[in-house]
Amino acid sequence: MMPIIYSLFAYALTAAISYIVVGIIVLIDRTMSKQAAAGKEK
Amino acid sequence: MEWMTSLFPGVGTFFAVDGTVAAARIFLICFGFVLSYMGFQRKLEPLIMVPMGIGMICVNAGVLFLENGAVGTLILNPLVSGTDELMGILQINCLQPIYNFTFSNGLIACLVFMGIGARSEISFLLARPWTSITIALFAELGTFVTLAVGVVFFGLPAGEAAAIATIGGADGPMVLFSSLIMAPELFVPISIIAYLYLSLTYGGYPYLIRLLVPKKYRGIDVEIYPPEVPQKTKFVFCVAICLILCLLLPMAAPLIMSFFIGIAVKEAEIGPYQELLEETVTYLSTFFLGLTLGTLCEASTILNPIVIKILVLGILALTISGVGGLLGGWLFYLRDKGGFNPVIGISGVSCVPTTAKLAQHAAEEENPFAMILPLAMGANISGVITSAIAAGVFVTTISMIG
Repeated sequence: MMPIIYSLFAYALTAAISYIVVGIIVLIDRTMSKQAAAGKEK
Repeated sequence: MEWMTSLFPGVGTFFAVDGTVAAARIFLICFGFVLSYMGFQRKLEPLIMVPMGIGMICVNAGVLFLENGAVGTLILNPLVSGTDELMGILQINCLQPIYNFTFSNGLIACLVFMGIGARSEISFLLARPWTSITIALFAELGTFVTLAVGVVFFGLPAGEAAAIATIGGADGPMVLFSSLIMAPELFVPISIIAYLYLSLTYGGYPYLIRLLVPKKYRGIDVEIYPPEVPQKTKFVFCVAICLILCLLLPMAAPLIMSFFIGIAVKEAEIGPYQELLEETVTYLSTFFLGLTLGTLCEASTILNPIVIKILVLGILALTISGVGGLLGGWLFYLRDKGGFNPVIGISGVSCVPTTAKLAQHAAEEENPFAMILPLAMGANISGVITSAIAAGVFVTTISMIG
């Protein structure tokens, strides 16, 4: 693979993994917030 | 003259080596003094520069005649290989055990990263998570551009270019770790130059901010209310993210584990461990990191022609990262129609918490009431995560470059 193409590929892969990580953080936060809210209502 | 060289070998060895090496030793002694003094004056990071400067002076002054007419020190010899020779020298050179058992295997980088994790507050990331991670990705621009420049224009092998490019992530332990795996023969000069430049970011980045962000935009206040995130939630996603990143990037598992174990200890409120990691481990590892880096700065290190390339590529990486981060800040300024301070972009460069403090300071200079530190810290923490991911991607996939 050419160096410039590799750089673009590596940048894209880094971005993808980073957004997946943040997506999981947000998902866990929302899920646990909903559970906490549901627990309080009961 | 001979009696003088025998009586004062530290002086005598200057005459026993090549003139270039002697001149390099004198330069490094002076440079060591400059670094330690600037650390004393707080113009450079004192935690690294004071031990590094003193180590640099001593390793270049305390040279003596060894067996078979060779010259060397009783401090450290990084070139020793072979089990018998190593076992012998471990009992003689004072810093050899530190080097072989913590430095050359990346343990010291992991210990520093544990301390960083224990001091990181990830709820800042949750204030505006997508903004923070996007800014951090913009601030990684320098890493990827420098890799391509290093291979195409400087003719470096892919592993060396990638190891040097990680300087753009502005994360010392990451640079150490990456260069140990991808360019072990260059990890000494890369690490020394990386830590030197990272200490200089505090001095250089404010000028970059002034160049790219006009005065009237620097003082923009951003109303943000960091969410109250329960510790249970933070602990759960720390463990989950650690698992996922280790699965995706096993080559970077030691650093990932170190960072998230620090966060986990903090969120689990294990007081003794928290204190251990935040204080003892952080300061002990930082101290020996600086001292070992200094004692690795022998004349042969700087006389290596590749040092010029590392100096150029390193500053290129950090500059483009800073520019990239500020571009990210401008992007969100435009998206939020003026409701975002572009200076926050600089904190995507993951020198925690230096760049976040720089951003806050730059905003306060124009508007004493501006409070952008929470968002800046969110981008800072995101920067640590993205630079860990970038290093892991490099280490895992660098062989794909033809």
